[in-house]
Amino acid sequence: MPRWVTRIAVLAGVILAWEMGVRLYGNPQRFPYPSAVATALVRDLGSGRLVVAVVQSLSRVLLAFFFAAATGIVVGVAIAVFRPLDRALSPIIDSLRSIAPIVWIPMAVLWFGITGRAAIFIVAYAAVFPIILNTSEAVRRLDRRLFDAALTLGAGPATLVVRVILRGAMPTIIVGARVAMGFAWASIIAAELAMGIKLGEGAQISIGLGQLMVNTLYVERDLNGLVGYMLTIGLIAILIDLVMRQFHRLALPAGAIP
Amino acid sequence: MTDSIRIEDVSKTYVSPRTGERVEALRGINLTIQSHEFVAIVGPSGCGKSTLLALVAGLLKPTSGRIFFDGVTVSRPGPERGVLFQDYALFPWLTVQDNVEFGPRARSIAAEERRRISQELIRLVGLCGFEDKYPSELSGGMRQRCALARMLANEPKVWLMDEPFAAVDLQTRMLLQQELLRLWGDDREILSRRPVMFVTHGIEEAVFLADRVLVLGRRPGRIKATIEIDLDRPRPPHRNSPATGALVERIWRLIRDEAAEAIADE
Repeated sequence: MPRWVTRIAVLAGVILAWEMGVRLYGNPQRFPYPSAVATALVRDLGSGRLVVAVVQSLSRVLLAFFFAAATGIVVGVAIAVFRPLDRALSPIIDSLRSIAPIVWIPMAVLWFGITGRAAIFIVAYAAVFPIILNTSEAVRRLDRRLFDAALTLGAGPATLVVRVILRGAMPTIIVGARVAMGFAWASIIAAELAMGIKLGEGAQISIGLGQLMVNTLYVERDLNGLVGYMLTIGLIAILIDLVMRQFHRLALPAGAIP
Repeated sequence: MTDSIRIEDVSKTYVSPRTGERVEALRGINLTIQSHEFVAIVGPSGCGKSTLLALVAGLLKPTSGRIFFDGVTVSRPGPERGVLFQDYALFPWLTVQDNVEFGPRARSIAAEERRRISQELIRLVGLCGFEDKYPSELSGGMRQRCALARMLANEPKVWLMDEPFAAVDLQTRMLLQQELLRLWGDDREILSRRPVMFVTHGIEEAVFLADRVLVLGRRPGRIKATIEIDLDRPRPPHRNSPATGALVERIWRLIRDEAAEAIADE
């Protein structure tokens, strides 16, 4: 029997057992079940609110990721090239890195209010460290003879940075970006969940996936819709990783790296 | 003949990053290299011969003394002083052709002209058909040919070569030596030749290639002797003439004791 047949059989068995278990013995008020999850998903896709929330969350992630990548690459290259800067900044970076992004939520809310910008801050914070660390490590590992070669071939500072340092470090930077993107997607949901929605207090915020979940749980009390969103979040995480893997492949032409 | 490189009373002291100890790599070097002259530098390990080359390249700064190239003080690396590195230092993410075009591109030469330069040089060093290969796909000898073409693409006014053939096998090395002489202009009139500083461990290589061999001593690195190689050019491909043998023997005697010391130190 091919492997996929076993896998599908097991998966179907688990779903069936779940459905039967909740229907026969469970309380549907407290436990979601597959057929109702499917119905809720179809409903939310049809109404368009799931798509709107996904677009909202993703655009926050992309904006935050852009900030994190720009900052992380600049800082990473700088501390790899200038040792004194490394000695000065590394303790700070390591301390900040050990503070989990969601711990910053109260501070972010204080600074930015319950807004999309607070969520963007949290996500950028989560994403910036893997990019800094991978960039600096990659640049440190580059063969310094290549810098010498570039300089003796007439390269100025800009050419050296772009065509040697960044190009040479790019495969590892993209590995960092891939990790960062995973962190970013996890923390946008966390940030949106934690900030939730405040209705009627004039705190206008466009609804991302996390906020949609809070609304679904506390306002609509729709457990099955909630599980539908959880599945969507997982699916998007997989898609993001696939896209990042393609970028990684692009940075590694055949035979370019021994 | 005019002076191309003038080294005036140059010393170089390092602080070892491991031990914090001060190491005197070179002391009181005085040297002039003329416009069409091939100078080889030999000496035991640790005599500072590669340091001397890096100083002329502008990759290191002298602790004291001055270095002039065409009458101008050397303060930084520049494309008019081409460098060939022992470990090739090819960009692993660029193809042969893009490696060769790196210099012209850094100097903002138009794409068409770059292409013309790289194709001509790739043909000259015998890498036709390998334009789109990456360095990792080439043999050691081919990598060094690629590095040579990359250096020549800037039409440097002087060639600085740091043990360029040390990492290739003996037969490849002998072929590369002949090709180097051909590219340099061994069989052409003297005015077409560039000044060369060629650092090597190989005494026979030095005698085969150079017009003049400098013998460096160690601790501190200093010039112990200068040997004129008055063999005819073009140099014949067979190398074991009595005259060559005598020169090699003479240089070896100058180095032998210190070479043994260097080995004992390691």
